[in-house]
Amino acid sequence: MPTKATPTAVVADDERLMRDQLVTALNDAWPELAIVGQASNGREAIAMVRSLDADIVFLDIRMPELDGIQAAQALAGATHVVFVTAHDQFAIDAFQQGAVDYLLKPAEPERVALTCQRLRERLQHKPDPMNDLLAQLSQRLGSGTVKPREYIRWVQASVGANLRVIPTTDILFFRAEDKYVRVQTKSFEALIRKPIKELIDELDPDEFWQIHRATVVRVDAVEQVSRNFRGHQVVHVKGSTEKLEVSRTFNNLFKQM
Amino acid sequence: MRRSGIRQTLHEIRDTGAVIWWRFFDWLAVVSWKKLLLVSLLALVLAGILQHPMPVLMLIIASFIIKVVAGGKRRAELTAGEATKRAETEQLERTVVEARMEALQAQIEPHFLFNTLASIDQLIQTDPKRASEMQKSLIRYLRSAMPQMREGSRPTLGQQLNLSSAFLEIMAIRMEERLRPVVNVPEGLKSAVFPPMMLQTLVENSIKHGLEPKAEGGTLEISAEIVDGQLAVHVRDDGKGFAPKAEGGVGLANIRQRLQAMYKGRAELIISVPPVGGTCATIKVPYEVSRDAAT
Repeated sequence: MPTKATPTAVVADDERLMRDQLVTALNDAWPELAIVGQASNGREAIAMVRSLDADIVFLDIRMPELDGIQAAQALAGATHVVFVTAHDQFAIDAFQQGAVDYLLKPAEPERVALTCQRLRERLQHKPDPMNDLLAQLSQRLGSGTVKPREYIRWVQASVGANLRVIPTTDILFFRAEDKYVRVQTKSFEALIRKPIKELIDELDPDEFWQIHRATVVRVDAVEQVSRNFRGHQVVHVKGSTEKLEVSRTFNNLFKQM
Repeated sequence: MRRSGIRQTLHEIRDTGAVIWWRFFDWLAVVSWKKLLLVSLLALVLAGILQHPMPVLMLIIASFIIKVVAGGKRRAELTAGEATKRAETEQLERTVVEARMEALQAQIEPHFLFNTLASIDQLIQTDPKRASEMQKSLIRYLRSAMPQMREGSRPTLGQQLNLSSAFLEIMAIRMEERLRPVVNVPEGLKSAVFPPMMLQTLVENSIKHGLEPKAEGGTLEISAEIVDGQLAVHVRDDGKGFAPKAEGGVGLANIRQRLQAMYKGRAELIISVPPVGGTCATIKVPYEVSRDAAT
């Protein structure tokens, strides 16, 4: 890879003071390095590196829009990456295993000098796409695109004129009623304007069970299951006097009980 | 329509019958043999007087059989139920201790501390006056965070505000125009008793999940009022809003558990979405003025 007469770099951090600090340190350690752009989030960093064709990018890990790891994934193989972080022990562990360089904030002159030394050598080669390392990092940091299926932990529901955010752990059951789904907790009820089918898809099936076309109950909240006069199973829920009928389709859920 | 009404009534009678039967069954399971014999004898005498001894005799025999066959199992179930209840109380007590430990550890996040020190380092070279201000805020923050967990002390809302506003001053220097903090608490409410490290958790959540992830940032407002004899403290931001899949519930769950343990249902944490977006977290506790409110 042919290097330009002057190597160029983009510095990305959401805090200006942190960018200034790094730029000052870099100027001292490597006066020939031209800092061609300063970005305040991951998205800006990607755009700047691409439009300015920067050789090096310094990426803070925690940034809005896209974080440092996501930005590095987008720029993999296109530029040399140095991560910057204040304190992310798991990330530091990962860096030490991989070939990638990193700096700790505040950047110490000796450490910056070492990084610059390494970068001068790295510039002779094509940038390493760091696929494995980035995949590992994004998994640890909970960023990135490939994720195991996630379920909702909160629902937004109206209580009178207010929109409340209710943790799913507080919810005893959901019941579809007319155009709404009623959310029942120990102390109040709230309404969601959404078909119960959509809701069921978003809920963790280990946390909530559908027991009827119109009813989804929190497994932990089930106190006992009895039979009613028609021979249907009826679920009694801790914290509510309401009894919930189990339709035949879902009978086998409580076979063991 | 009428038929279904009758059916409904019949079902209700059946349900009630079932309930009474289970109560009887429970009684049968736990009652001592001596008492059961005594009651049986009395029932028999009563039935004899009414000249219908046969059904009662049958019932008594049936009861004896049931007690022998199923009584042991049912009694075990009931004892297990009680044990569960006891375990739940113990669980709650354990949670309080754990919550306290966690709060202790979570007080000063290393990420915050290192970033702040790095900012001060930069300001020392470029703007020493600001560096000194920021350092003073950091000292104030650390000082007010330290005695939070002291046993027996009853922290006031004023102390909690002191901590959080020092934190906000630091964050405002770091985040610049991306954080606009507003504190709107009447002077008179600062002497109210308010549990430690709850306001700060809400403020940190607001910044971490609401404002920091938003490129243009926003406003964070702390306010307090008396509503129906309760002290309501709000932390409102116009940030990114609550992600339904967000993990960040640990701090909030911790607050809920601590409120439950301290106030037994007389306090609550409510999260809502203001009409303009963002998040509003409200803690309501019984309003009480601290006796040593001088501080």
